[in-house]
Amino acid sequence: MSQAPVVRLQNVTKVIGKRTIIDRVSFEVQPGEVFGFLGPNGSGKTTTIRMIVGLMGLTEGDIQIAGHSVRKEFPKAIIHVGAIVENPEMYKFLTGYQNLLHYARMNPSITKERIQEVIELVGLQGRIHDKVKKYSLGMRQRLGVAQAVMHRPKLLVLDEPTNGLDPAGIRELRDYLRRLAQDEGTAVLVSSHLLSEMELMCDRVAILQKGQIIDVRSIRGQTVDKAASEEVQFDVDHPDAALGILEGQGSGKIVDGLLTLSVDRTGIAALNRRLVEAGINVYGIRVKTKSLEDQFLEMTGSETIG
Amino acid sequence: MGNFWNLILNENMKIYRRVRTWIMLGFIVLLPPLISILVMIFSDGPSSNWNMMMMESYILFILVTIFTVVIASETVAGEFTWGTIKLLLIRPWSRSTILLSKYLSTLMFALTFIVAAFIVTLLVNIVVFGYSGNASELSGTVGISDWEYALKYYLFQFISLIIIVTFGFMMSSAFRSSGLAIGLSISFLFAGSIVANLFSVIDKDWVKYVLFMHLNLTSYIQGVGPIPNHPTTLGFSLAVLAGYFILFNLISWTVFRKRDITA
Repeated sequence: MSQAPVVRLQNVTKVIGKRTIIDRVSFEVQPGEVFGFLGPNGSGKTTTIRMIVGLMGLTEGDIQIAGHSVRKEFPKAIIHVGAIVENPEMYKFLTGYQNLLHYARMNPSITKERIQEVIELVGLQGRIHDKVKKYSLGMRQRLGVAQAVMHRPKLLVLDEPTNGLDPAGIRELRDYLRRLAQDEGTAVLVSSHLLSEMELMCDRVAILQKGQIIDVRSIRGQTVDKAASEEVQFDVDHPDAALGILEGQGSGKIVDGLLTLSVDRTGIAALNRRLVEAGINVYGIRVKTKSLEDQFLEMTGSETIG
Repeated sequence: MGNFWNLILNENMKIYRRVRTWIMLGFIVLLPPLISILVMIFSDGPSSNWNMMMMESYILFILVTIFTVVIASETVAGEFTWGTIKLLLIRPWSRSTILLSKYLSTLMFALTFIVAAFIVTLLVNIVVFGYSGNASELSGTVGISDWEYALKYYLFQFISLIIIVTFGFMMSSAFRSSGLAIGLSISFLFAGSIVANLFSVIDKDWVKYVLFMHLNLTSYIQGVGPIPNHPTTLGFSLAVLAGYFILFNLISWTVFRKRDITA
Protein backbone atom coordinates (compact mmCIF):
# COMPACT_ATOMS: atom_id res chain seq x y z
CA MET A 1 0.00 0.00 0.00
CA SER A 2 1.53 3.27 -1.01
CA GLN A 3 0.70 6.10 1.35
CA ALA A 4 0.38 9.74 0.48
CA PRO A 5 3.12 11.82 2.06
CA VAL A 6 2.09 13.95 5.01
CA VAL A 7 4.22 16.84 3.88
CA ARG A 8 5.62 17.53 0.46
CA LEU A 9 7.98 20.34 -0.43
CA GLN A 10 8.35 21.16 -4.10
CA ASN A 11 11.13 23.44 -5.24
CA VAL A 12 10.75 25.63 -2.21
CA THR A 13 12.75 28.80 -2.67
CA LYS A 14 13.13 31.81 -0.41
CA VAL A 15 14.79 34.98 -1.58
CA ILE A 16 15.29 37.82 0.88
CA GLY A 17 16.56 40.94 -0.82
CA LYS A 18 19.04 39.59 -3.32
CA ARG A 19 20.13 36.59 -1.28
CA THR A 20 18.71 33.17 -1.95
CA ILE A 21 18.26 31.75 1.55
CA ILE A 22 16.60 28.51 0.45
CA ASP A 23 17.27 27.16 -3.00
CA ARG A 24 14.82 24.70 -4.63
CA VAL A 25 14.38 22.41 -1.65
CA SER A 26 12.19 19.36 -2.28
CA PHE A 27 11.45 16.40 -0.05
CA GLU A 28 8.58 14.36 1.36
CA VAL A 29 7.88 12.90 4.75
CA GLN A 30 5.74 9.75 5.01
CA PRO A 31 3.31 8.89 7.81
CA GLY A 32 5.09 7.26 10.74
CA GLU A 33 8.47 8.49 9.62
CA VAL A 34 10.90 10.51 11.71
CA PHE A 35 12.67 12.79 9.30
CA GLY A 36 15.74 14.72 10.36
CA PHE A 37 16.83 18.03 9.05
CA LEU A 38 20.52 18.42 9.51
CA GLY A 39 22.80 21.28 8.76
CA PRO A 40 25.30 23.72 10.20
CA ASN A 41 24.07 26.95 11.73
CA GLY A 42 22.85 29.34 9.06
CA SER A 43 22.18 26.60 6.52
CA GLY A 44 18.46 27.41 6.38
CA LYS A 45 16.92 24.77 8.65
CA THR A 46 14.84 27.18 10.66
CA THR A 47 13.79 29.18 7.60
CA THR A 48 12.54 26.02 5.89
CA ILE A 49 10.63 25.02 9.00
CA ARG A 50 9.11 28.49 9.31
CA MET A 51 7.93 28.21 5.72
CA ILE A 52 6.36 24.81 6.37
CA VAL A 53 4.33 26.16 9.29
CA GLY A 54 3.41 29.36 7.47
CA LEU A 55 5.40 31.81 9.55
CA MET A 56 7.39 32.85 6.48
CA GLY A 57 6.19 33.18 2.93
CA LEU A 58 7.58 31.27 -0.03
CA THR A 59 9.21 33.10 -2.91
CA GLU A 60 8.70 30.13 -5.19
CA GLY A 61 7.53 26.53 -5.04
CA ASP A 62 4.85 25.03 -2.85
CA ILE A 63 4.42 23.12 0.38
CA GLN A 64 1.54 20.70 0.83
CA ILE A 65 0.45 19.27 4.15
CA ALA A 66 -2.03 16.38 3.94
CA GLY A 67 -2.72 17.48 0.39
CA HIS A 68 -3.45 21.15 1.20
CA SER A 69 -1.22 23.95 0.02
CA VAL A 70 0.18 26.11 2.78
CA ARG A 71 0.04 29.05 0.39
CA LYS A 72 -3.55 28.72 -0.76
CA GLU A 73 -5.42 26.88 1.99
CA PHE A 74 -3.46 27.76 5.08
CA PRO A 75 -6.04 26.89 7.78
CA LYS A 76 -6.80 23.52 6.15
CA ALA A 77 -3.13 22.68 5.91
CA ILE A 78 -1.99 23.92 9.31
CA ILE A 79 -4.73 22.12 11.24
CA HIS A 80 -2.72 18.92 10.69
CA VAL A 81 0.45 20.42 12.13
CA GLY A 82 1.78 20.65 15.63
CA ALA A 83 5.00 22.53 16.08
CA ILE A 84 7.61 23.99 18.34
CA VAL A 85 9.70 26.53 16.48
CA GLU A 86 12.92 27.12 18.39
CA ASN A 87 12.17 27.58 22.08
CA PRO A 88 8.64 26.93 23.25
CA GLU A 89 7.70 30.46 24.27
CA MET A 90 4.67 30.62 26.51
CA TYR A 91 2.62 33.36 28.12
CA LYS A 92 4.56 33.67 31.37
CA PHE A 93 1.78 35.50 33.20
CA LEU A 94 -0.65 32.65 32.55
CA THR A 95 -0.62 29.23 34.16
CA GLY A 96 0.42 26.15 32.22
CA TYR A 97 -3.22 25.14 32.00
CA GLN A 98 -4.33 28.54 30.72
CA ASN A 99 -1.63 28.37 28.06
CA LEU A 100 -2.94 25.01 26.88
CA LEU A 101 -6.52 26.24 27.04
CA HIS A 102 -5.53 29.19 24.86
CA TYR A 103 -4.31 26.94 22.05
CA ALA A 104 -7.07 24.38 22.60
CA ARG A 105 -9.71 27.06 22.00
CA MET A 106 -8.23 27.69 18.59
CA ASN A 107 -8.77 24.13 17.46
CA PRO A 108 -12.33 22.77 17.51
CA SER A 109 -11.25 19.13 17.88
CA ILE A 110 -9.71 19.52 21.34
CA THR A 111 -11.90 18.63 24.32
CA LYS A 112 -11.27 19.36 28.02
CA GLU A 113 -10.60 15.64 28.51
CA ARG A 114 -7.95 15.71 25.82
CA ILE A 115 -6.18 18.62 27.56
CA GLN A 116 -6.12 16.58 30.77
CA GLU A 117 -4.83 13.54 28.90
CA VAL A 118 -1.98 15.51 27.35
CA ILE A 119 -1.04 17.08 30.70
CA GLU A 120 -0.64 13.57 32.13
CA LEU A 121 1.21 12.43 29.05
CA VAL A 122 3.93 15.04 29.54
CA GLY A 123 3.86 14.57 33.31
CA LEU A 124 2.95 18.11 34.30
CA GLN A 125 -0.17 17.34 36.36
CA GLY A 126 1.42 18.48 39.63
CA ARG A 127 2.41 21.94 38.37
CA ILE A 128 -0.08 22.72 35.62
CA HIS A 129 -1.87 25.41 37.63
CA ASP A 130 1.35 27.29 38.41
CA LYS A 131 2.30 30.35 36.41
CA VAL A 132 4.68 29.53 33.57
CA LYS A 133 7.18 32.11 34.86
CA LYS A 134 7.85 29.67 37.72
CA TYR A 135 8.62 26.79 35.35
CA SER A 136 12.07 25.40 34.64
CA LEU A 137 13.24 25.16 31.04
CA GLY A 138 12.55 21.44 31.02
CA MET A 139 8.98 22.02 32.18
CA ARG A 140 8.45 24.63 29.48
CA GLN A 141 9.69 22.12 26.93
CA ARG A 142 7.10 19.65 28.20
CA LEU A 143 4.40 22.28 27.95
CA GLY A 144 5.62 23.00 24.44
CA VAL A 145 5.29 19.36 23.49
CA ALA A 146 1.81 19.29 25.07
CA GLN A 147 0.52 22.18 22.96
CA ALA A 148 2.06 20.63 19.85
CA VAL A 149 0.42 17.20 20.19
CA MET A 150 -2.90 18.23 21.75
CA HIS A 151 -4.85 18.04 18.49
CA ARG A 152 -3.21 14.75 17.37
CA PRO A 153 -1.45 16.31 14.39
CA LYS A 154 -0.46 14.27 11.36
CA LEU A 155 2.78 16.21 11.20
CA LEU A 156 4.85 17.21 14.19
CA VAL A 157 7.53 19.80 13.51
CA LEU A 158 10.26 20.35 16.06
CA ASP A 159 13.01 22.89 15.57
CA GLU A 160 16.06 22.09 17.71
CA PRO A 161 13.92 20.23 20.25
CA THR A 162 16.78 19.10 22.46
CA ASN A 163 18.04 22.62 23.16
CA GLY A 164 18.09 23.13 26.89
CA LEU A 165 17.12 19.57 27.76
CA ASP A 166 19.22 17.42 30.08
CA PRO A 167 20.30 13.94 28.88
CA ALA A 168 17.34 12.28 30.59
CA GLY A 169 14.98 14.77 28.97
CA ILE A 170 16.52 14.19 25.55
CA ARG A 171 16.12 10.45 25.93
CA GLU A 172 12.53 10.81 27.05
CA LEU A 173 11.72 13.06 24.11
CA ARG A 174 13.39 10.68 21.68
CA ASP A 175 11.45 7.69 23.00
CA TYR A 176 8.24 9.68 22.90
CA LEU A 177 8.75 10.76 19.29
CA ARG A 178 9.50 7.22 18.17
CA ARG A 179 6.40 5.96 19.95
CA LEU A 180 4.28 8.69 18.38
CA ALA A 181 5.56 7.78 14.92
CA GLN A 182 5.09 4.05 15.41
CA ASP A 183 1.79 3.97 17.29
CA GLU A 184 -0.09 6.92 15.85
CA GLY A 185 1.55 7.11 12.46
CA THR A 186 2.56 10.71 13.04
CA ALA A 187 5.14 12.07 10.67
CA VAL A 188 7.85 13.88 12.62
CA LEU A 189 10.16 16.51 11.18
CA VAL A 190 13.05 17.37 13.48
CA SER A 191 15.83 19.81 12.86
CA SER A 192 19.08 19.77 14.71
CA HIS A 193 22.77 20.34 14.40
CA LEU A 194 23.43 17.59 16.93
CA LEU A 195 24.36 14.71 14.68
CA SER A 196 24.56 11.95 17.25
CA GLU A 197 21.07 12.90 18.42
CA MET A 198 19.69 12.72 14.89
CA GLU A 199 21.32 9.35 14.33
CA LEU A 200 19.38 7.93 17.27
CA MET A 201 16.10 9.65 16.52
CA CYS A 202 15.53 9.61 12.78
CA ASP A 203 14.65 7.19 10.02
CA ARG A 204 15.94 9.48 7.32
CA VAL A 205 17.92 12.69 7.31
CA ALA A 206 18.28 15.46 4.80
CA ILE A 207 21.52 17.36 4.93
CA LEU A 208 21.17 21.02 4.22
CA GLN A 209 23.95 23.37 3.35
CA LYS A 210 23.73 26.97 2.21
CA GLY A 211 20.03 26.57 1.56
CA GLN A 212 20.32 23.47 -0.59
CA ILE A 213 19.72 19.83 0.20
CA ILE A 214 22.97 18.11 -0.59
CA ASP A 215 21.93 14.64 0.47
CA VAL A 216 19.00 12.61 1.79
CA ARG A 217 19.82 9.25 3.34
CA SER A 218 18.25 6.49 5.37
CA ILE A 219 19.63 5.75 8.79
CA ARG A 220 17.48 2.87 9.92
CA GLY A 221 17.03 -0.44 8.13
CA GLN A 222 20.21 0.07 6.17
CA THR A 223 21.18 -3.36 4.78
CA VAL A 224 24.74 -4.34 5.46
CA ASP A 225 26.64 -4.66 2.23
CA LYS A 226 28.58 -7.86 2.72
CA ALA A 227 30.93 -7.38 -0.16
CA ALA A 228 32.01 -3.86 0.77
CA SER A 229 35.39 -3.34 2.31
CA GLU A 230 35.46 -1.65 5.68
CA GLU A 231 38.14 -0.31 7.89
CA VAL A 232 38.98 -2.96 10.44
CA GLN A 233 41.18 -2.62 13.50
CA PHE A 234 42.93 -5.60 15.05
CA ASP A 235 44.12 -5.29 18.63
CA VAL A 236 47.10 -7.68 18.80
CA ASP A 237 50.13 -8.15 21.07
CA HIS A 238 52.78 -7.68 18.35
CA PRO A 239 51.45 -5.28 15.72
CA ASP A 240 54.74 -5.20 13.79
CA ALA A 241 54.99 -8.96 13.56
CA ALA A 242 51.36 -9.12 12.55
CA LEU A 243 51.93 -6.60 9.82
CA GLY A 244 54.71 -8.79 8.46
CA ILE A 245 52.44 -11.82 8.37
CA LEU A 246 49.78 -9.93 6.51
CA GLU A 247 52.25 -8.64 3.93
CA GLY A 248 50.58 -8.63 0.59
CA GLN A 249 47.10 -8.31 2.02
CA GLY A 250 46.53 -4.77 0.85
CA SER A 251 47.36 -1.59 2.66
CA GLY A 252 47.82 -2.52 6.27
CA LYS A 253 49.25 0.01 8.68
CA ILE A 254 49.63 0.59 12.36
CA VAL A 255 47.50 3.34 13.86
CA ASP A 256 47.69 4.04 17.59
CA GLY A 257 49.19 0.59 18.15
CA LEU A 258 46.33 -1.07 16.31
CA LEU A 259 46.77 -2.97 13.09
CA THR A 260 44.43 -1.20 10.69
CA LEU A 261 43.47 -2.30 7.23
CA SER A 262 40.70 -2.29 4.73
CA VAL A 263 39.05 -5.65 4.20
CA ASP A 264 35.63 -7.20 3.51
CA ARG A 265 33.60 -9.43 5.82
CA THR A 266 34.99 -12.83 4.81
CA GLY A 267 38.47 -11.35 4.82
CA ILE A 268 38.19 -10.52 8.51
CA ALA A 269 37.68 -14.15 9.46
CA ALA A 270 40.50 -15.33 7.20
CA LEU A 271 42.89 -12.76 8.61
CA ASN A 272 42.03 -13.63 12.16
CA ARG A 273 42.74 -17.32 11.51
CA ARG A 274 46.12 -16.53 10.00
CA LEU A 275 47.09 -14.34 12.91
CA VAL A 276 46.12 -16.97 15.44
CA GLU A 277 47.92 -19.70 13.50
CA ALA A 278 51.06 -17.56 13.53
CA GLY A 279 50.90 -17.45 17.32
CA ILE A 280 49.81 -13.84 17.67
CA ASN A 281 47.28 -13.06 20.37
CA VAL A 282 44.23 -11.20 19.10
CA TYR A 283 42.50 -9.20 21.83
CA GLY A 284 39.88 -7.52 19.74
CA ILE A 285 38.59 -6.88 16.23
CA ARG A 286 36.66 -3.73 15.58
CA VAL A 287 34.92 -2.61 12.41
CA LYS A 288 35.15 1.14 12.13
CA THR A 289 31.74 2.29 10.88
CA LYS A 290 31.61 5.82 9.80
CA SER A 291 29.32 7.77 12.07
CA LEU A 292 26.84 10.20 10.65
CA GLU A 293 29.09 12.89 12.01
CA ASP A 294 32.05 11.70 9.92
CA GLN A 295 29.87 11.49 6.84
CA PHE A 296 28.37 14.87 7.54
CA LEU A 297 31.71 16.60 7.99
CA GLU A 298 33.02 14.84 4.92
CA MET A 299 30.16 16.25 2.90
CA THR A 300 29.89 19.74 4.26
CA GLY A 301 33.61 20.16 4.78
CA SER A 302 34.73 22.73 7.26
CA GLU A 303 33.49 25.62 5.21
CA THR A 304 32.58 28.79 6.95
CA ILE A 305 29.04 30.09 6.96
CA GLY A 306 28.63 31.98 3.72
CA MET B 1 -13.41 26.63 11.10
CA GLY B 2 -14.00 26.90 14.78
CA ASN B 3 -15.60 29.65 16.72
CA PHE B 4 -14.42 33.24 16.42
CA TRP B 5 -15.68 33.98 19.93
CA ASN B 6 -12.95 31.65 21.25
CA LEU B 7 -10.32 33.98 19.82
CA ILE B 8 -11.95 36.90 21.65
CA LEU B 9 -11.95 34.84 24.85
CA ASN B 10 -8.25 34.17 24.37
CA GLU B 11 -7.39 37.82 23.88
CA ASN B 12 -9.47 38.79 26.88
CA MET B 13 -7.72 36.15 28.95
CA LYS B 14 -4.40 37.70 27.99
CA ILE B 15 -5.68 41.16 28.97
CA TYR B 16 -7.49 40.41 32.22
CA ARG B 17 -5.19 37.75 33.65
CA ARG B 18 -2.59 40.41 34.21
CA VAL B 19 -2.33 42.37 37.42
CA ARG B 20 -1.66 45.64 35.66
CA THR B 21 -5.09 45.62 33.98
CA TRP B 22 -6.71 45.61 37.42
CA ILE B 23 -4.41 48.39 38.60
CA MET B 24 -5.61 50.41 35.61
CA LEU B 25 -9.22 49.74 36.54
CA GLY B 26 -8.38 50.74 40.11
CA PHE B 27 -7.34 54.18 38.84
CA ILE B 28 -10.62 54.62 36.99
CA VAL B 29 -12.72 53.58 39.96
CA LEU B 30 -10.80 55.31 42.76
CA LEU B 31 -9.74 58.59 41.17
CA PRO B 32 -13.23 60.19 40.85
CA PRO B 33 -14.26 59.70 44.50
CA LEU B 34 -10.85 60.98 45.60
CA ILE B 35 -11.15 64.16 43.50
CA SER B 36 -14.78 64.74 44.50
CA ILE B 37 -14.12 64.35 48.20
CA LEU B 38 -11.09 66.65 48.06
CA VAL B 39 -13.13 69.27 46.21
CA MET B 40 -15.98 68.95 48.70
CA ILE B 41 -13.58 69.46 51.63
CA PHE B 42 -11.45 72.28 50.26
CA SER B 43 -13.72 74.16 47.86
CA ASP B 44 -15.67 77.19 49.21
CA GLY B 45 -18.47 77.55 46.70
CA PRO B 46 -21.04 74.84 46.01
CA SER B 47 -20.21 72.52 43.09
CA SER B 48 -22.74 70.78 40.88
CA ASN B 49 -22.57 67.06 40.26
CA TRP B 50 -22.58 67.63 36.47
CA ASN B 51 -19.67 70.04 36.42
CA MET B 52 -17.59 67.78 38.61
CA MET B 53 -18.51 64.78 36.50
CA MET B 54 -17.30 66.44 33.30
CA MET B 55 -14.10 67.66 34.91
CA GLU B 56 -13.28 64.15 36.12
CA SER B 57 -14.38 62.59 32.84
CA TYR B 58 -11.90 64.79 30.99
CA ILE B 59 -9.06 63.35 33.10
CA LEU B 60 -10.40 59.81 32.88
CA PHE B 61 -10.58 59.96 29.08
CA ILE B 62 -6.88 60.82 28.94
CA LEU B 63 -6.17 57.90 31.29
CA VAL B 64 -8.36 55.42 29.43
CA THR B 65 -6.78 56.49 26.13
CA ILE B 66 -3.30 55.85 27.53
CA PHE B 67 -4.35 52.54 29.06
CA THR B 68 -5.98 51.36 25.84
CA VAL B 69 -2.97 52.43 23.81
CA VAL B 70 -0.82 50.30 26.13
CA ILE B 71 -3.15 47.34 25.61
CA ALA B 72 -3.34 47.91 21.84
CA SER B 73 0.43 48.18 21.57
CA GLU B 74 1.12 45.08 23.57
CA THR B 75 -1.54 42.90 21.98
CA VAL B 76 0.47 42.62 18.77
CA ALA B 77 3.99 43.77 19.65
CA GLY B 78 3.95 41.78 22.90
CA GLU B 79 3.44 38.52 21.05
CA PHE B 80 6.57 39.30 19.04
CA THR B 81 8.56 40.25 22.13
CA TRP B 82 7.46 37.16 24.03
CA GLY B 83 8.01 34.93 20.98
CA THR B 84 4.50 33.53 21.38
CA ILE B 85 3.56 34.82 17.92
CA LYS B 86 5.20 31.66 16.54
CA LEU B 87 2.74 29.46 18.40
CA LEU B 88 -0.23 31.77 17.87
CA LEU B 89 -0.04 31.92 14.07
CA ILE B 90 0.33 28.18 13.47
CA ARG B 91 -3.34 27.54 14.25
CA PRO B 92 -6.14 26.97 11.76
CA TRP B 93 -7.00 30.67 11.52
CA SER B 94 -5.97 33.26 9.00
CA ARG B 95 -3.73 36.04 10.20
CA SER B 96 -6.43 38.58 9.38
CA THR B 97 -8.90 36.89 11.70
CA ILE B 98 -6.38 36.69 14.51
CA LEU B 99 -5.60 40.39 14.11
CA LEU B 100 -9.32 41.19 14.07
CA SER B 101 -9.81 39.33 17.37
CA LYS B 102 -7.03 41.43 18.86
CA TYR B 103 -8.45 44.69 17.54
CA LEU B 104 -11.99 43.97 18.73
CA SER B 105 -10.76 42.86 22.16
CA THR B 106 -8.84 46.12 22.47
CA LEU B 107 -11.95 48.14 21.62
CA MET B 108 -13.97 46.07 24.09
CA PHE B 109 -11.41 46.92 26.74
CA ALA B 110 -11.78 50.63 25.95
CA LEU B 111 -15.57 50.41 26.00
CA THR B 112 -15.58 48.57 29.33
CA PHE B 113 -13.34 51.19 30.91
CA ILE B 114 -15.34 54.09 29.46
CA VAL B 115 -18.63 52.65 30.71
CA ALA B 116 -17.00 52.17 34.12
CA ALA B 117 -15.80 55.79 34.04
CA PHE B 118 -19.29 57.06 33.16
CA ILE B 119 -21.01 55.09 35.93
CA VAL B 120 -18.42 55.94 38.58
CA THR B 121 -18.26 59.67 37.83
CA LEU B 122 -22.04 59.91 37.63
CA LEU B 123 -22.77 58.05 40.87
CA VAL B 124 -19.90 59.42 42.94
CA ASN B 125 -20.84 63.02 42.20
CA ILE B 126 -24.53 62.48 42.83
CA VAL B 127 -23.62 60.94 46.18
CA VAL B 128 -21.14 63.68 47.10
CA PHE B 129 -22.83 66.77 45.69
CA GLY B 130 -26.47 65.73 45.30
CA TYR B 131 -28.43 65.53 42.05
CA SER B 132 -28.98 68.94 40.55
CA GLY B 133 -31.80 67.92 38.24
CA ASN B 134 -31.83 67.69 34.49
CA ALA B 135 -31.04 71.36 33.86
CA SER B 136 -28.76 72.87 31.22
CA GLU B 137 -25.81 73.76 33.40
CA LEU B 138 -23.19 72.23 31.12
CA SER B 139 -24.19 73.62 27.77
CA GLY B 140 -25.13 77.08 29.08
CA THR B 141 -26.90 79.14 26.41
CA VAL B 142 -27.21 76.24 23.93
CA GLY B 143 -29.77 74.78 26.27
CA ILE B 144 -29.42 71.02 25.86
CA SER B 145 -30.05 68.93 28.94
CA ASP B 146 -27.15 67.83 31.13
CA TRP B 147 -27.84 64.19 30.43
CA GLU B 148 -27.68 64.79 26.70
CA TYR B 149 -24.50 66.83 27.08
CA ALA B 150 -22.80 64.14 29.16
CA LEU B 151 -23.76 61.33 26.79
CA LYS B 152 -22.71 63.28 23.70
CA TYR B 153 -19.42 64.16 25.39
CA TYR B 154 -18.71 60.49 26.06
CA LEU B 155 -19.70 59.47 22.54
CA PHE B 156 -17.53 62.10 20.83
CA GLN B 157 -14.57 61.47 23.09
CA PHE B 158 -14.90 57.75 22.50
CA ILE B 159 -14.69 58.31 18.75
CA SER B 160 -11.42 60.25 19.17
CA LEU B 161 -10.15 57.52 21.47
CA ILE B 162 -10.83 54.87 18.81
CA ILE B 163 -8.78 56.84 16.28
CA ILE B 164 -5.80 57.21 18.61
CA VAL B 165 -5.97 53.56 19.65
CA THR B 166 -6.21 52.48 16.00
CA PHE B 167 -3.08 54.51 15.35
CA GLY B 168 -1.35 52.73 18.25
CA PHE B 169 -2.51 49.38 16.94
CA MET B 170 -1.07 50.19 13.53
CA MET B 171 2.27 51.20 15.05
CA SER B 172 2.30 48.00 17.08
CA SER B 173 1.63 45.87 14.04
CA ALA B 174 4.08 47.79 11.84
CA PHE B 175 7.03 48.10 14.21
CA ARG B 176 6.53 45.10 16.53
CA SER B 177 7.76 47.32 19.33
CA SER B 178 5.25 48.16 22.02
CA GLY B 179 7.46 50.91 23.46
CA LEU B 180 7.58 52.75 20.17
CA ALA B 181 3.87 52.27 19.59
CA ILE B 182 2.96 53.52 23.06
CA GLY B 183 5.34 56.49 22.84
CA LEU B 184 4.15 57.63 19.43
CA SER B 185 0.47 57.24 20.28
CA ILE B 186 0.74 59.18 23.51
CA SER B 187 2.68 61.99 21.87
CA PHE B 188 -0.03 61.87 19.22
CA LEU B 189 -2.57 62.37 22.00
CA PHE B 190 -0.79 65.34 23.60
CA ALA B 191 0.90 66.96 20.60
CA GLY B 192 -2.37 66.68 18.72
CA SER B 193 -3.98 69.66 20.39
CA ILE B 194 -0.81 71.79 20.05
CA VAL B 195 -0.56 70.98 16.34
CA ALA B 196 -4.26 71.70 15.99
CA ASN B 197 -3.81 75.15 17.56
CA LEU B 198 -0.86 75.96 15.30
CA PHE B 199 -2.59 74.81 12.14
CA SER B 200 -5.87 76.54 12.92
CA VAL B 201 -4.31 79.94 12.20
CA ILE B 202 -3.08 78.83 8.77
CA ASP B 203 -5.36 80.19 6.11
CA LYS B 204 -5.18 77.22 3.78
CA ASP B 205 -7.89 74.79 2.83
CA TRP B 206 -5.85 71.61 3.43
CA VAL B 207 -5.89 72.34 7.13
CA LYS B 208 -9.40 70.92 7.15
CA TYR B 209 -8.04 67.50 6.21
CA VAL B 210 -5.41 67.25 8.94
CA LEU B 211 -6.31 64.50 11.38
CA PHE B 212 -5.39 66.43 14.51
CA MET B 213 -7.96 69.13 13.75
CA HIS B 214 -10.82 66.68 14.25
CA LEU B 215 -9.90 64.93 17.46
CA ASN B 216 -11.77 67.45 19.59
CA LEU B 217 -15.30 66.65 18.45
CA THR B 218 -16.83 67.84 21.72
CA SER B 219 -16.84 71.41 20.43
CA TYR B 220 -19.75 70.37 18.20
CA ILE B 221 -21.90 69.98 21.31
CA GLN B 222 -21.75 73.77 21.61
CA GLY B 223 -22.54 73.99 17.90
CA VAL B 224 -19.10 75.17 16.76
CA GLY B 225 -16.59 73.23 14.72
CA PRO B 226 -13.12 72.46 16.10
CA ILE B 227 -11.33 74.80 13.64
CA PRO B 228 -12.39 78.41 14.23
CA ASN B 229 -11.15 79.71 10.84
CA HIS B 230 -12.69 76.88 8.85
CA PRO B 231 -16.29 76.16 9.72
CA THR B 232 -16.94 72.44 9.37
CA THR B 233 -19.89 70.22 10.10
CA LEU B 234 -19.90 67.17 12.37
CA GLY B 235 -20.51 65.02 9.30
CA PHE B 236 -17.39 66.42 7.65
CA SER B 237 -15.25 65.76 10.71
CA LEU B 238 -16.54 62.21 10.98
CA ALA B 239 -15.79 61.63 7.29
CA VAL B 240 -12.20 62.83 7.72
CA LEU B 241 -11.77 60.61 10.78
CA ALA B 242 -13.29 57.66 8.90
CA GLY B 243 -10.74 58.20 6.14
CA TYR B 244 -7.83 58.01 8.57
CA PHE B 245 -9.48 55.08 10.37
CA ILE B 246 -9.60 53.09 7.15
CA LEU B 247 -6.04 54.05 6.23
CA PHE B 248 -4.62 53.01 9.62
CA ASN B 249 -6.42 49.68 9.57
CA LEU B 250 -5.43 49.03 5.98
CA ILE B 251 -1.78 49.44 6.97
CA SER B 252 -2.16 47.27 10.09
CA TRP B 253 -3.76 44.43 8.21
CA THR B 254 -1.51 44.58 5.17
CA VAL B 255 1.68 44.58 7.22
CA PHE B 256 0.49 41.85 9.59
CA ARG B 257 -0.68 39.55 6.82
CA LYS B 258 2.48 39.79 4.74
CA ARG B 259 5.14 39.85 7.39
CA ASP B 260 7.67 37.04 7.73
CA ILE B 261 7.83 36.01 11.36
CA THR B 262 11.47 35.87 12.34
CA ALA B 263 11.07 36.67 16.03
